[in-house]
Amino acid sequence: MRIGVPRALFYYMYYPFWKIFFEALGHEVILSSPTNKKILKDGLEFAVDDACLPVKVFHGHIVDLLDRVDVLFIPRIISIEPGEFICPKFLGLPDMVKSSIPDLPPIIDSNLSVYKNRKDLIGHAKSIGTDLGHSSRLILKAYTIASTKFNSYKKFQISHEQLPLDSGQKSFFDSNSSYFSRHKNKCLGENTLNVLLLGHPYNIYDNYISMNLITKLQKNGIKVITPEIIPVKNISAGAKNLKKRLFWTMGKNIIGSTYYYMDCGKALDGIIHLASFGCGPDSIVGELLERKLSRNRLVPFLRINIDEHSGEEGFNTRLEAFIDVIEGRRRN
Amino acid sequence: MECYLGIDVGSVSTNFALIDKHGKMLKKLYLRTAGRPIETIKSGLKMLKEDLKDDIEIKGVGTTGSGRKLASVIVGADVVKNEITAHAVASISEIPTVQTILEIGGQDSKIIILRDGIVVDFAMNTVCAAGTGSFLDRQAQRLGIPIELFGEIAIRSKNPTRIAGRCAVFAESDMIHKQQLGYKVEDILKGLCQALVRNYLANVAKGKEINPPVVFQGGVAANSGIKRAFEEELGMEIIVPEHFDVMGALGAALLAKKAMSQNKQKQTNFYGFEAAFKEHRAESFECNGCPNLCEIVQIYVDNKLIARWGDRCGRWSENVAV
Repeated sequence: MRIGVPRALFYYMYYPFWKIFFEALGHEVILSSPTNKKILKDGLEFAVDDACLPVKVFHGHIVDLLDRVDVLFIPRIISIEPGEFICPKFLGLPDMVKSSIPDLPPIIDSNLSVYKNRKDLIGHAKSIGTDLGHSSRLILKAYTIASTKFNSYKKFQISHEQLPLDSGQKSFFDSNSSYFSRHKNKCLGENTLNVLLLGHPYNIYDNYISMNLITKLQKNGIKVITPEIIPVKNISAGAKNLKKRLFWTMGKNIIGSTYYYMDCGKALDGIIHLASFGCGPDSIVGELLERKLSRNRLVPFLRINIDEHSGEEGFNTRLEAFIDVIEGRRRN
Repeated sequence: MECYLGIDVGSVSTNFALIDKHGKMLKKLYLRTAGRPIETIKSGLKMLKEDLKDDIEIKGVGTTGSGRKLASVIVGADVVKNEITAHAVASISEIPTVQTILEIGGQDSKIIILRDGIVVDFAMNTVCAAGTGSFLDRQAQRLGIPIELFGEIAIRSKNPTRIAGRCAVFAESDMIHKQQLGYKVEDILKGLCQALVRNYLANVAKGKEINPPVVFQGGVAANSGIKRAFEEELGMEIIVPEHFDVMGALGAALLAKKAMSQNKQKQTNFYGFEAAFKEHRAESFECNGCPNLCEIVQIYVDNKLIARWGDRCGRWSENVAV
């Protein structure tokens, strides 16, 4: 069967797992095109007005897949870390899509919640496999393959500092040819400027939404560090500095990475926070970040809010000025 | 004489600054862009040419402002810099100890924080252009007051009225309301200055530490009413530098001077003042190479294609044979 996976939202985190899992079950995975103007336009047309930019873009990716798949994969993601939650829009995603877009193929919308126990991931896999009509034995086998490979992918991602960044039509992950995409995260030795780029993976790695932010930084000789390439234990250690536990996984990753770098004395030249306009969790996370960073003013901080109207000129002006700031600081 | 030229192409004004090799201002121009950036740049060049003695030699050119890219291909620039850096450079040259720069231009406003002569933080207005030059222009026009007299009249007020300055649209309706209630023009103008300053400090300057010396520049710095309102709100002296209206251009000229002095061998890219007499043409089309449908702009000089931009992928912009 052709299973459609939208190149949006959790694609940037879990696509390798889904791809291996579905292929081990004998299915073909069809990926939507990289975000483009038409996808954004379709997303704006179909999604409810109040949704944030990445959720609107997700709707556009569903439209892009409509005529070329037998079944759509839109998991209902509730929690991806024990004791933590994901933005509630993910929880309602399959329902939002069903009510907004007509003439949909069947949808696999199994719950994914590891709130109580990390092992509940098996239940998620079982429910997907059962929906597709497979035996428990085959599902378990596919799950074992997928989770083993996914874990080694995660390790590789951190040890080789691989950002999940698509290049043109090519996905950052290809299970057939080379095992991992090797997007070069430029490191120019001592003179490299290190910038911590914070934001939800589906904003910072989507080249259309982020207006090629990562590539623009790298072209200026900047090494881009994101929460995805920081070891989990460091993020957790950083997040412990907050007085109260942050129960949104994305927010925790953002705050945890910042605190880790600020408190461990690691050299950073700048911090950029890319947030989508209207993001509830980020409105608080951004505020916490700003307070932490303005208190000691050790590292220049740039916050960019993006929405569907984002003008690239204004974006570039701020980015160029920010690069001037961090270069000026380094020279002194 | 060796000179450096800076051009700042903004939404409302296009400014020129010509400096000598010591950074001294020789000639400045403040022109209204009037929605025709190419023509304005060319007429600026012509005006400069007419005013100057023949022994002037332009050794370097810098462009800045939202139209910096356009200006750079028309005149042949050595440095193309964002307006935040350009404003900071100019300000430091005038007041070396500056710690805060308030800049309000035609359509954007920014705050730049400096410590020990380097920029450490900045912010620009995001979604709202309330309180920028074009809004003040419009209100002055509506009240039938020349914009040059705006500040002077506002300062006369002894009893400013309170105007809702959160949003330009609401500020205007509030002003109309206050007029209809019979408030004096000077009280309304002063109230508007205070509202805009409050709005600026609450939005653009939110969370920024404003330390003196504070420099106020950009076209709106000509408005003494706004300057006074800043002084009252911040409780500190506000310095308006001599060339406040062309600080971006001055910064671009200084950056060009610096870039050229770092590399003595380098020849300037400047096309000369003859550029003003060439025929410039801009064309655009929609690329249908992919679903992004980017709008590509092509700039022709004397029917020769010299620059292209607007594409996301670089298919057009990276393929210009110059």
